[in-house]
Amino acid sequence: MASSKSGKRASLPRSNSDNNEGILTRVSTAVSQSPIVNTTKQAASDAGYITKRLLKSTGKAAWIVGTTFLILVVPLIIEMDREQQLNELDLQQASLLGTPPSAIAPQK
Amino acid sequence: MATVVPPTATMPPAAPKPAVIQPEKVDYLNLPCPIPYEEIHREAMMSLRPELFEGLRFDFTKGLNQKFSLSHSVFMGPTEVPSQSGDIIKIPTSHYEFGANFIDPKLMLFGRILTDGRLNARVKCDLSENLILKANAQISNEPHMSHGMANFDYRGKDYRTQFQLGNGALFGANYIQSVTPHLSLGGEVFWAGQYRKSGIGYAARYNTDKMVATGQVASTGVVALSYVQKVSEKVSLATDFTYNYLSKDAIASFGYDYILRQCRLRGKIDSNGCTSAFLEERLNMGLNFILSAEIDHRKKDYKFGVGLTPLAVTVTVCCLNSIFFFVRGSFSPDEDSSKPLRRLSLV
Repeated sequence: MASSKSGKRASLPRSNSDNNEGILTRVSTAVSQSPIVNTTKQAASDAGYITKRLLKSTGKAAWIVGTTFLILVVPLIIEMDREQQLNELDLQQASLLGTPPSAIAPQK
Repeated sequence: MATVVPPTATMPPAAPKPAVIQPEKVDYLNLPCPIPYEEIHREAMMSLRPELFEGLRFDFTKGLNQKFSLSHSVFMGPTEVPSQSGDIIKIPTSHYEFGANFIDPKLMLFGRILTDGRLNARVKCDLSENLILKANAQISNEPHMSHGMANFDYRGKDYRTQFQLGNGALFGANYIQSVTPHLSLGGEVFWAGQYRKSGIGYAARYNTDKMVATGQVASTGVVALSYVQKVSEKVSLATDFTYNYLSKDAIASFGYDYILRQCRLRGKIDSNGCTSAFLEERLNMGLNFILSAEIDHRKKDYKFGVGLTPLAVTVTVCCLNSIFFFVRGSFSPDEDSSKPLRRLSLV
């Protein structure tokens, strides 16, 4: 903080001496050299890095969870559904033929 | 052995109150026969260790008459080769296996020959009503990979005992006894002369019709516990835990086993993050369509397999070998040999 203030003070006489520098330039240099901009820049880059890492690890975790799910649960869901369909088919057949469902079940 | 009767069994149940359900009187003289010592983890193994494979396999069995059948099997896919650096090297292989089976209630003979020159032979013979001889031999053109083994199983009224003789001066004996109708305890000793190793092991198994819990300890440093809960007629959940005292590694796994009308589906996840699933879909021609998947994210090892096998594949034979070598975990020479044996799917 102290050093930047002293720098500003040191630059002041120089900016006063050559007056051909526009007011816009002076404002922009004052803004770009201010400590707030520096800290903001630092914070932004840090935030960007953290977000990148976070996204990367979240993606990896999602990938692992997703593939595990694909292996463990998806076949189970499909097979349970098939089983249910078969059961329904049996019930329908039983009601059509008028035979108890237990007579059909062992044939399978 | 069976005559050791605790005094409680002979005494009448102590004054049962009408409100309390009378405890079932246990007849310690008529205990059920336990299951063989080698198979105490049978249910957990069936659910948690399906025969996963990578690549394509096609098995076909043709019965020539009631007792004699021929089997053909084709396998294509990578096989893993152990390397020094610890990472997996896969070598693509393919082989054809020709087998002949003779099945009679008293005598079973199986022979398998592979195109790479390995020969497997297996005999199961009932010498008398209670004494069974089981023998298997593997002959290979590679040196030190041939071995033979003979087991004599004696089945008593409420106990079983087994003697094992193998090449390389391998001797083993085990004994298992029913203690209560649900609990059985057993022990084993073995001596492998070739490697100058001996060991002792104990096992306990508690089973009811809803659950099975087993525990096994061996002096090779292996502690294995398993628990299987039968949720319903179709669903059972299994979990197991293995700890090796010498190598200090522990692994736990959890799996499900769905036996549906058209298929059997087994899934498992273990503490190393390895996920696997094995689906057997029943086709109507007496064939099973099998899909096998195994994913290990940590090692970046993905294995997928597809195959067709005939319906009757006994898992017990495969299990039997894997347990045998699994408990003797520290035995490296036998460990690699368990692989070809496990590939033998008989009957």
